[in-house]
Amino acid sequence: MRSITARLVVLLVVVTAARTAAAQQRSEQDHWTVRAAMVYTAAGAPIEKGSVAIADGKIAAVGGGGGGDVLEVAAVTPGLIDLSIEIDTGNCSVEQSSEVAAALSVADSLDLFSYEWDRALRSGVTTALAVPADFDVVGGLGVVLKTGGPPTLEARLVRGDAVLRGAIGTQPSSGNSMPRFSAPQSFYYRRPTTRMGVEWVFRKFFWDTLQGEGADDERTADDQTVARRVLKGDLPLSIRARATQDVRTAIYLKEEFGIPRVILHDAVEAWREPELLVRSKVAVVLPPIPPDGRVEDGFVNDSYFVPLDAAKKLADLHVPFALSGQSNATVGTRIADQAGLAQRGGLSFEAALAAVTIEPARMVGVQDRVGSIEVGKDADLVLWSGKPFEPTSRIVGVLLNGRLMIDPRAETR
Amino acid sequence: MKHSHPSFLARAALSSAALGSLAVLGSAGSDGKLVIEAGRIVTQAGPDIEDGRIVIADGRIVAVGKASEVEKPWDAVVLGGKTMVAFPGFVEAHTSQGMDRSNETLDVAPFLDIRDSIDPVAYYFEDCLRYGITTVNVQQGANCIIGGRGMIVRPTGMTVEEMTVRPTFGIKLSAQPKAGKSRATQMQSLRYAFDDLRSYLEDLVEKERDERGHAKREALFQGRDLEEEKANGRAMGGTSWKVEGLELIPRGALDEKYAPLLDLVEGNQAVFFHCGDALDVAHALEVARTNGFLARTTLVIEEGCWKAADLMAEAGVPVVLDGPLVEVRRDPVTGDEEETFVPGVLQDKGVRFALSSENPNTRAPAFQAALAIGRGLDRAVALDAVTRVPAEILGMGNDVGSLEVGKLGNVALFSGDPLSVTSWVEHVVIEGRPVYDRSKDVRNKQLLEGIQQPNTAPPTQVTGEEPEHAEEDEHAKKDEAEKDEKKKEDEKEEKKDDGETPR
Repeated sequence: MRSITARLVVLLVVVTAARTAAAQQRSEQDHWTVRAAMVYTAAGAPIEKGSVAIADGKIAAVGGGGGGDVLEVAAVTPGLIDLSIEIDTGNCSVEQSSEVAAALSVADSLDLFSYEWDRALRSGVTTALAVPADFDVVGGLGVVLKTGGPPTLEARLVRGDAVLRGAIGTQPSSGNSMPRFSAPQSFYYRRPTTRMGVEWVFRKFFWDTLQGEGADDERTADDQTVARRVLKGDLPLSIRARATQDVRTAIYLKEEFGIPRVILHDAVEAWREPELLVRSKVAVVLPPIPPDGRVEDGFVNDSYFVPLDAAKKLADLHVPFALSGQSNATVGTRIADQAGLAQRGGLSFEAALAAVTIEPARMVGVQDRVGSIEVGKDADLVLWSGKPFEPTSRIVGVLLNGRLMIDPRAETR
Repeated sequence: MKHSHPSFLARAALSSAALGSLAVLGSAGSDGKLVIEAGRIVTQAGPDIEDGRIVIADGRIVAVGKASEVEKPWDAVVLGGKTMVAFPGFVEAHTSQGMDRSNETLDVAPFLDIRDSIDPVAYYFEDCLRYGITTVNVQQGANCIIGGRGMIVRPTGMTVEEMTVRPTFGIKLSAQPKAGKSRATQMQSLRYAFDDLRSYLEDLVEKERDERGHAKREALFQGRDLEEEKANGRAMGGTSWKVEGLELIPRGALDEKYAPLLDLVEGNQAVFFHCGDALDVAHALEVARTNGFLARTTLVIEEGCWKAADLMAEAGVPVVLDGPLVEVRRDPVTGDEEETFVPGVLQDKGVRFALSSENPNTRAPAFQAALAIGRGLDRAVALDAVTRVPAEILGMGNDVGSLEVGKLGNVALFSGDPLSVTSWVEHVVIEGRPVYDRSKDVRNKQLLEGIQQPNTAPPTQVTGEEPEHAEEDEHAKKDEAEKDEKKKEDEKEEKKDDGETPR
């Protein structure tokens, strides 16, 4: 049995290697000129009948010029950025032996061979934030990486320690129970079991850091080093907070400890706290908005509501926000569809484009490399068959680091 | 009671609000004439008309054309405007929504009629109007062997009678296993249902013949003309198997469990055959062929069924796509995720198809048609799939599916291009009656802007303008300023509190 398994593994490795080689051969060329009826740069006004020149994986010119093969499309935008990618972030991507695992990075548990990276590319996502699953209160460090290219961390990493990820609400406590005298002990018996408990652990983490409490333990000291970077503003704190009360708690935490940069992730009901959002200067990542506004939480059977104009509400308040697709496979719910639906809710096209490109790039500090079409930035482009985000348009091509990942010249549906 | 109390009340309140507006609107144009004016009319019967006008009288379209060429009756109610786009009301080829419960526990239940389970205040029918759907074919759910008989309704009205367009239309069959069954037992039950019908009919005829032989002899002795006394039935029709001598049995004498099935075999009833996966298609076609209702069959398919598109094309059956537009699956060997755009395959193979609103993520027909066009489907094919093709499937090709003289006055008025994500259905007209007005749609406003108001007002510097009345009265202004200051102080205190004990 074992030998069969071993053989299977070898076979899989061979197949994967072959596929990777094929992917790399898909296009060795990285000199292109993309001509489009509309170039939406996400950095200023769109350019009509413009072109983007690409050389050595970077954008060499915007507007005119350029060598290499010419790709003709209806529209081009920057590669999309999704801060909510959910690739292989199951139980294995977060250390659950402790509620706080701030110093551990999700980079060490990412499966770069997952088929879901391809799905991200098909959805137009070229840069993504991967974070630990939200089973811990403070789950660890998230990384920003490219969704394609050679399957090594070195090749794909855009930013190592991009955010510290935490979670408020019921998910970190779900599945936990009170210690009992007779029951066999497992680590699920000593974690918070309520929203209050989760919040307490969160506050204790920062409080202990400020006091230097427990720093003689090596692991705690490592965690506190990360916490100090968060408190200084070197590292944004990404908090998953869905319900209104969790949004409030996250904002109160920010204000209590003076945490400079906080991103509310998956903030379904952030729209209900306009005053707090503006006062606390948090950034928001919205979840995919379903047609009936209902967001179910499978873990705890909670149900939240998000209106179609949630993005517009945030834009009117000048709260920085990003839209997200959460690696959805269903057509009609992907990140590009979200940018369309946000416009149905009243958001302007420009703001919708920014919310899937330059805004998320700024939130995680990678705006110098990606997020807009500007000379010197990475050549990550999405090529469209019509006006971006309209249902009648489709992503026909994707360039990543100047490599053609999806070829607009191939006739596919 | 199925509903929890508060939600039931809320629902009742909503629907009564909707009905209130409906009644007001309805009375304006109900038996009179209605004129619809639009910057563009997508007729689905020839080219679009710029600056068009539609005149509806007694429920039907009496004129459609350029505004400059079509006279406006002086006594007509006018709806629409230059910025709007008129589109034929969408036709839902098949749905199992809008019922109290869509499935029956009995395996074979053709004697049931879904008129008894249609819920006129179901959210589904409200949503139909929001999407511009004006004709709906409601059939039992797919968790059955042979389901009850369905019906065609208009999504407006407080009773099923008001809603009815065609009573007892269509019957649901499923090749996908009912819960608790395997594909083998499902097929066995399907075949058995028709074998059972056949032996029932044969027994009836045999018994009748015996009795008639006896009665004949009696009548002979008594000198009566038996043939004139006896009401005769019809010989069995249809194109497949026949039971000889069925004319001996008056149709009214048939058991109601079997009569609807005989209707099927004789080709008198439309069939909606559910297929959950590609292998079901061959099974469904076999049952339909063997029992002579292939010509009346429409396949209701899930997305995986595209693999059997050749079979569908060969059989010449139309299909309704019940699942998502794109099948996403993983290759078991390579582990890669693959996508197949199902309408594209159907078009390539020459299968006539309709789209339905069953997929929860892409329900609105206009949105689905737009996504399909985005994926490369011909514009005409995509639009036909939500108008003309479903109309033909329902046998209502002469009544709905396009804006032509003589057809029913079913119109969806969009705020802009019907295929754009930013367009809304502003008005819906069914048979000349305005039945939906977005400006009066409370629930749509809630979905758009939120059910509850934000907890706290946004700070004034963001919203900008001060309220007008503040400028009118100096004193009021002063008072407000004082209040503001007090509020700020309170807030400061609150902040302090927050700092110590969050929440």
